[in-house]
Amino acid sequence: MHSYRLALDEPVAGAHLDELSRRVHYISEAIIGFRLVPGAGDGVEAVEVTTDHPVDAEALGKKLRYVVDTEVRPQLHTPPKVLWRSTADRTPHGDTFAGLLADGVVHEIGPGQVALGAPALAALDALDGLLRDIIREEFGAREYRYPTLLPVTALHRSGYLSSFPQHMMFAARLNGDVDTYRAFAEEVGARETVGDRVLHRCAPVDRCLPPTMCYHTFDQFAGATLPDENTVVTAKGGSFRHESRYHRTLERLSDFTIRETVFLGTADFVREARDRFRRRAVELVEQLGLAGRCEVASDPFFAGAATAAQVSSQRLLELKHELHLDVAPGDSISIGSFNLHEKHFGDAFGIKGPDGATVYSACVGFGLERFTYAVLCQYGWDVADWPAPLAERCATTPQPGKGKR
Amino acid sequence: MTDDIAKTVRSFIGEHVQDGEPGDDHDIFATGSVSSLFAVQLVMWVERTFGIAVHPTDLDIENFRTVNHVVRFVESRRAAAAPA
Repeated sequence: MHSYRLALDEPVAGAHLDELSRRVHYISEAIIGFRLVPGAGDGVEAVEVTTDHPVDAEALGKKLRYVVDTEVRPQLHTPPKVLWRSTADRTPHGDTFAGLLADGVVHEIGPGQVALGAPALAALDALDGLLRDIIREEFGAREYRYPTLLPVTALHRSGYLSSFPQHMMFAARLNGDVDTYRAFAEEVGARETVGDRVLHRCAPVDRCLPPTMCYHTFDQFAGATLPDENTVVTAKGGSFRHESRYHRTLERLSDFTIRETVFLGTADFVREARDRFRRRAVELVEQLGLAGRCEVASDPFFAGAATAAQVSSQRLLELKHELHLDVAPGDSISIGSFNLHEKHFGDAFGIKGPDGATVYSACVGFGLERFTYAVLCQYGWDVADWPAPLAERCATTPQPGKGKR
Repeated sequence: MTDDIAKTVRSFIGEHVQDGEPGDDHDIFATGSVSSLFAVQLVMWVERTFGIAVHPTDLDIENFRTVNHVVRFVESRRAAAAPA
């Protein structure tokens, strides 16, 4: 283990500290841990990072300062804003994941990958069912099941590649040529690992793993003139994001499930729909007696030229709201987000309304594993202890272990 | 003074809206007249042009939605900064 103190040119303080913290691991994969070093006053004057192997600290410090100076410091100091806070008095235990593992409710596959079994799986499906009820009742959405792989062109034209390069996961295949297949087959037969012998033989890179469902929906309507003034589409599917670090829980996965609803139409419609869904989601959380809050948030933009302005404008205009639920004493995770896109995706995908004008869009997405995990943290995994709307839908699920809170 | 401020604000916003010069009560962010990134540009321009510090508690879009909102915000900050 090696430790390095990376000094900042000027102290970083206030709202910028969270923005600094969420970026440190993305500076380099070599960083396995870090600590913000307080300076005089309320600012942070350095970041102390730890690595497994020796690194060029000067180069690492330069990368950190570049990110701080271009992405963090130029951001407006927008103060935190909470829109709703639950009155539920539920304090989650801090050891939920260990209990779930011990009882065989979950199984760790690898970093950011966890298999769910009963009764967590039943909870996930039930929570999705409760969300689908809202989507059907409020919006009469059209539902689709999309293929897993997404054309790279969809993310390219959306701007995702330049805004969130750190999350990208490409789905490559071997170049279609008998010489490639033969050389590859011979080589892997003689080796124990193949990772470093694959990519240079792959082409074309035209598919990727979707970071969420809405890009499938925008791609579906690319170039279309929608017959109705307002359109609502919902889908559930596997979503994939490379993260710099994974929690050893269900809090941050590379491979997870999102229930996402996309609204296309007029500015008033998409804003009203986004806000109405948020209110219904809060009602659901209250009905389930879960402890949490809803607040103004921003996306993890990284490495783009406009990162600071994107984060600042999202917060200033309240384009993104997040619903957080408690998962441990003093700790919560975002289980859903409610997003306005203005005409960004309408322009990017050439989607027009019946009047020929570019549509506005909004989307509401729920991370179903996270939602499930928050329920398990607050209620345990004995179905009999779950709140009625959930327990009723899970009455027949097998019940391994006790999971008493 | 108010007229001068309004003229300056109207001119700056007018240069950036997509659908002609807006009325002084026109909500430029609700109607798609500008992209969301303009909000940041507007805040920074107000600081620079009128020599006032926009504090975290001022970062409420209600201070920047219309020409009149910006004018009122600039006047209030100047009044607060003026010697008694």
